[in-house]
Amino acid sequence: MNGISLKKPTSYFLALFSFLLAFSVSTTSLQAQEDGEKLFKSYCASCHSPGANQLVGPGLAGVYDKYEKEWLYKWIKNSSALIATGDAQAIAVYEQYNKVIMPAQPVTNIQIDAILDYLKVYAEKAPTVAAAVVGGTEDVIAEDSGLSGYAIAGIIVLFLILIILLRKVQYIFTAANARDSGDEMPEETTLTQALALTVSQNKTIFAVMGIVCLALFAKGGWDSAFGVGVFQGYEPEQPIMFSHKLHAGTNGIDCNYCHTSASYSKSAGIPSPNLCMNCHTYIQEGPEYGKEEIGKIYAALDFDPVTKTYGPNQTPIKWVKVHNLPDHVYFNHSQHVAIGKIACEKCHGPVETYTVGKQYAELTMGWCINCHRETKVQMADNGYYDEIHDRLPDELKKQYLEDGTITVSELGGIECSKCHY
Amino acid sequence: MSNNKKYWKGLEELNNSPSFQKVKSEEFNEYLPAEDFLGDKEVLESSDTSRRDFLKYLGFGVTAASLAACEAPVNKVIPYVVKGDKTNPGVANYFATNYFDGFDYCDIVVKTREGRPIKIEGNKKSPLTNGAINARVNSSVLSLYDEKRYRAPQMGGESTSWSKFNRTIKKRLSNAIVAGGKVRILTNTITSPSTKKLVSEFVAANPSADIKHVSYDAVSASGMLEANKESFGVAALPTYDLSKAKSIVSIGADFMNSFPSSLELTSQYAKGRKPENGWMSKHFQFEASLSLSGTNADVRMPMKPSEYGKTVVAIYNYLNGNKSGAAPKVKMAAEHLLSNKGESIVLCGSNDKNIQNVVVAINQMLGNYGKTINIDKPSFQRQGMDADVAGLVKELKGGSVDVLIIDGANPVYNLPADMDFKGAMSKAKTSIVFATRPNETSVEAKMVGAAAHYLESWNDENAVAGHYSLTQPSISPLFDTKQLQDCLMYWMGLDGNYYDYIKATWSAVTFPMQSQSLLFEDFWNTTLEDGFFSLNTTESRNATFTDNSASGVSAIAKIKSSELEIEFYSKVGIGSGNQSHNPWLQELPDPVSKITWDNYIAMNPVEARAKGFATEYGEQKDADTINITVNGVVYENVPVVGQPGQAPGTVSVAVGYGQVIGKSNEVIGFNAYSAMKGMKNYSTDVSMEAAGGKYQIATTQTHQTVMGRTSIVRETTLDVFQKGVKDNYNPAHMLATHEGPMNINDVDLWAAHPVATAGHHWGMSIDLNSCIGCGSCVTSCNSENNVPVVGKDEVRRSREMHWIRVDRYFSSTPDSLETRSYGEMEQPEDNPQVVHQPMMCQHCNHAPCETVCPVAATTHSNEGINQMTYNRCIGTRYCANNCPYKVRRFNWFNYMGYDKFADLNPSQDDLGRMVLNPDVTVRARGVMEKCSLCIQKIQTGKLDAKKESRPVMDGDIETACSSACPTNAITFGDYNDKTSRVLAASQSTRAYRVIEEVGTQSNVYYQTKVRNVEPNIA
Repeated sequence: MNGISLKKPTSYFLALFSFLLAFSVSTTSLQAQEDGEKLFKSYCASCHSPGANQLVGPGLAGVYDKYEKEWLYKWIKNSSALIATGDAQAIAVYEQYNKVIMPAQPVTNIQIDAILDYLKVYAEKAPTVAAAVVGGTEDVIAEDSGLSGYAIAGIIVLFLILIILLRKVQYIFTAANARDSGDEMPEETTLTQALALTVSQNKTIFAVMGIVCLALFAKGGWDSAFGVGVFQGYEPEQPIMFSHKLHAGTNGIDCNYCHTSASYSKSAGIPSPNLCMNCHTYIQEGPEYGKEEIGKIYAALDFDPVTKTYGPNQTPIKWVKVHNLPDHVYFNHSQHVAIGKIACEKCHGPVETYTVGKQYAELTMGWCINCHRETKVQMADNGYYDEIHDRLPDELKKQYLEDGTITVSELGGIECSKCHY
Repeated sequence: MSNNKKYWKGLEELNNSPSFQKVKSEEFNEYLPAEDFLGDKEVLESSDTSRRDFLKYLGFGVTAASLAACEAPVNKVIPYVVKGDKTNPGVANYFATNYFDGFDYCDIVVKTREGRPIKIEGNKKSPLTNGAINARVNSSVLSLYDEKRYRAPQMGGESTSWSKFNRTIKKRLSNAIVAGGKVRILTNTITSPSTKKLVSEFVAANPSADIKHVSYDAVSASGMLEANKESFGVAALPTYDLSKAKSIVSIGADFMNSFPSSLELTSQYAKGRKPENGWMSKHFQFEASLSLSGTNADVRMPMKPSEYGKTVVAIYNYLNGNKSGAAPKVKMAAEHLLSNKGESIVLCGSNDKNIQNVVVAINQMLGNYGKTINIDKPSFQRQGMDADVAGLVKELKGGSVDVLIIDGANPVYNLPADMDFKGAMSKAKTSIVFATRPNETSVEAKMVGAAAHYLESWNDENAVAGHYSLTQPSISPLFDTKQLQDCLMYWMGLDGNYYDYIKATWSAVTFPMQSQSLLFEDFWNTTLEDGFFSLNTTESRNATFTDNSASGVSAIAKIKSSELEIEFYSKVGIGSGNQSHNPWLQELPDPVSKITWDNYIAMNPVEARAKGFATEYGEQKDADTINITVNGVVYENVPVVGQPGQAPGTVSVAVGYGQVIGKSNEVIGFNAYSAMKGMKNYSTDVSMEAAGGKYQIATTQTHQTVMGRTSIVRETTLDVFQKGVKDNYNPAHMLATHEGPMNINDVDLWAAHPVATAGHHWGMSIDLNSCIGCGSCVTSCNSENNVPVVGKDEVRRSREMHWIRVDRYFSSTPDSLETRSYGEMEQPEDNPQVVHQPMMCQHCNHAPCETVCPVAATTHSNEGINQMTYNRCIGTRYCANNCPYKVRRFNWFNYMGYDKFADLNPSQDDLGRMVLNPDVTVRARGVMEKCSLCIQKIQTGKLDAKKESRPVMDGDIETACSSACPTNAITFGDYNDKTSRVLAASQSTRAYRVIEEVGTQSNVYYQTKVRNVEPNIA
């Protein structure tokens, strides 16, 4: 990774695959599965995995086959009561899992059924998902590499050969004509001579064409100059295959849960691995990469997932920075998130669909300024702005409020030293 | 203007030399040899670069640069592995702690970002220092990131591990103790109760051995300590309250700089200098060299240092009714003291116990004890007894010391040469030195403990009776360093670490003194948060007074003067020399001489001229050198500098120099301590001769001249001010118009800028009466705004980058009371009056710089700030040319990358770069920069207010200079806030704007200086 490479977004294809997958699931169990999944996440997921791995409690894969439904109802609703009755099976489970009482869950029998249905569906689906997604990514990459400049070069070469051939043919025909008609044999002209002749015979057309080409070239140069240093769509490979799609999309985790400081600091903050451990102490396997990627967090923290202990050899994770503002720009997240109440998506796009973090916005000065020109200042219920508003002389108030809003730029938000110091 | 004074920044301007005239008309006076080159055909033809080549390279360069710009480097972002609760990237944390290096004591607040200390500010809560801070303290953050620091303990010149180091010492100590040998601990003054307790426990635990702790001060106050012991039975310094003193008489005491407790005294002094209060203290200064305090005195009299004693006696006699023979100014001072009994203070900087005894008697006679001076609440900031050090050296030379432990002191460097500490130290069987970086003493030691920086250490201090403070680390040790206390605990076989020990001490000693907290943990946490714990009432011991004045007077009578005397003084930047390796301090222009990066022999300019020495210095003008012998120590080829105000027949030299700085170990100046025989701060045994050499001097004296627009300084006397006619002391600028004279503010070419009515309108007010010129603002600004260090060579070329400078104007009146002979006018250089004027971007509402910028890189904000946009600047420097205040700075080089600055610029290495403020751009080569009114702090202050849903309160936002000002001379605020202090100040009768007549409508107001002096007395 010596430089930034711009990759075609693969997320669209992934989205398509997921969509198709969703349809491939049998429609009959769809309703139950959705309910069951929701219920599972709200009641069970904090301690149990739907697979076989143990979190706080055991993995629930196959639990529907292992135990009687009636017994499960009792156990889930109030396990300690069941143990107290002296139920042998209950005591066995209690003993097996280090005598940790499973708290009573406020669920109905119907809900438990739905959860069990979901577990069944999960068990059937799980292996397929991983395979499909991995396959999908490969496909996309293959398609990506097919697109190249070689084809264009080839076409140009073909054209050149064609021109030479046609000229040769034309000459042969002219020469043949001349021989037949007994005229003087025409001299074979070189390509350059022919070109010069054509130009000299059509000066106006070529002059116009030249000017147009120059103008187009200049326009292209001008446009591309604006693109210098703009890395919109930058999507570098990261040390951990962290998927925002899974965390923010599927699991619906709020942005602020991990990027805690966005609301009070200059930087939104990359979560430190100890924050990951809030969930990943127990969630030790991911749906896509299994233990491999989560294992990298453990490696950073020197965490042993079996004994659940931390070692001394902790090493930080070196993420690749995606959003690189130049050093002479000051940007403060909290100003925009907490005060301006700007949604994260406004600048970062549909993060919940990204499998790899990427730069959504241009992050150019023009982009910033445009937003500052259009965006309304969130003056309501803020003592600071009350004071500022009071201080505005009437004529300014009138001038600013002509369009009904006071924008950021009207309060000086596009002045140089608001961002450059 | 009410006076006919002539103002001059330096001797160049006073004498208006031709070269000065040339320099002042050239803002950028670098010489470009274009004419020589183009005019000479041969030179032109012999050049191997043809025009074609030039264009080729140009084309290639442009293309390469554009291509390079297309590829951006891959940046890494590395989160904490385990993030602390309060450590948030992008959010500053503040820790209250304190600074004490044996010279300055200061309660401070350390600003950290991402866990790194980046700025030091005064602790505004502290009742002792009142938030005052000086340049030395606020620059000390840079020494934390010093490349040259010891990174591990050393044994025999090799790095070793702490366990080996400590085991070795423990063994040697126990051997010495078992054999009943001598163990000596030498430190600078220690005020830490825990350290003292630890040392005394160490002594008590080994009764069989001879263990002694000796402390000494590089700049000794032994004379005062002894005098107080003899007079009151307390070997300590009294505390003063200058804010209550109406009459302040200082005889050779630079109480704003080098006198013990200078920070406390400075902040108190300013409180008594507000003419609006209806009274103002009157400050008399009798001294040889023009000190910082001397520049602020109302009445100053130059005299030889050997005459300090006689002056003290003259005042003593005058107070006793013996009024004959007193010099006019002495008489004036004595009269003023008499009329302000109980509201006066007499201070003396002499290290002679006899003189101090008489000073004590004078203050006693005036009834000042218990009112302005408190010996019952002593200060412990100087404890070194000269006799103890001499005793230790004798012991060492005798070879009887087994183990010598030195911490926080550099005796090889700052003890006089005749003591030969180096030789003495080599005779100790084991010598252990704790130092943060290699110094003269540590390189001689057999074992060197890599000491932790104070920002990495735990400690406690008891600087003044009843004021206890905690030193807490704001960063974990950068290197493998430890404190002496931790090691000592190991050597003693104690469990735990020094932190636990301090806690235990506080639990046992300090906690019972208070009643606010019931639980120790609460008390501890509150103290850590505040940084100190202060008792409102102190146990009053009412020390009984023993009059030793008679013996003092008779001893003083024996003091002999000589033709030529030398005074040793401490410079404002370097102080005692503890931080002479700090480039910020070296580049801080001395408030008096405006010379950077050097010490020198200061001489009266009239005498210097008579001896044929140059008295004007610049890029092309060097100082002359002399060979000088002081107390038998010879200094060869040292520069001599003409210093206005220096007493005739004296020279002076700053201590603290002669140490190395930078990666290349360049020696700056020469070590004057070597000649301080007997730790006396002057000598009569001086001889000198011209050496015939030349020496380059880097002075900022005549840089940024203002083309004779001396109306920028306004001053008056208390009398005139109190009569209340504003036109007499601060007249409005009137402009002749066709409608008759009009106030300059009513005549305008441009429409009024809307800042006056909408939103914020930031501005500043600077009280020339409070400003003492100490330069604390300059280094604070360096630290806050990533101002680069340019080095001596560049300062000589007027390329210093300081955003704020303190202009020092000398002024002289035609007639003065103190005359050389009756009827003859005093030479202006002999005893000029001084005005210090901080000068930075004035943020003009009608800024001349803005109108000439071809690329609109400098523009006006709707909050009244003149904005400088570096990324837009193309470096035409038109703005600097058009600035009437000469406050814009041009980046001639890439200071953070160019080799020439690698030696000194802290931003050049990874370690030094940690001190940079991440909120402020590090400027590139070729752009202009200037004061931004700390825009980053304004933006933060506004954002904090928005988050808390409240208006910005007055005082919420402080600029780096205003927060660092020990006298609160600088006030920052919002003119649109009707309750703000800055608005009130701008409307006061003393308020004026500098060079107002050109109509810049600046947002910085100055307050006219008021001297408490009768007209015609300097």
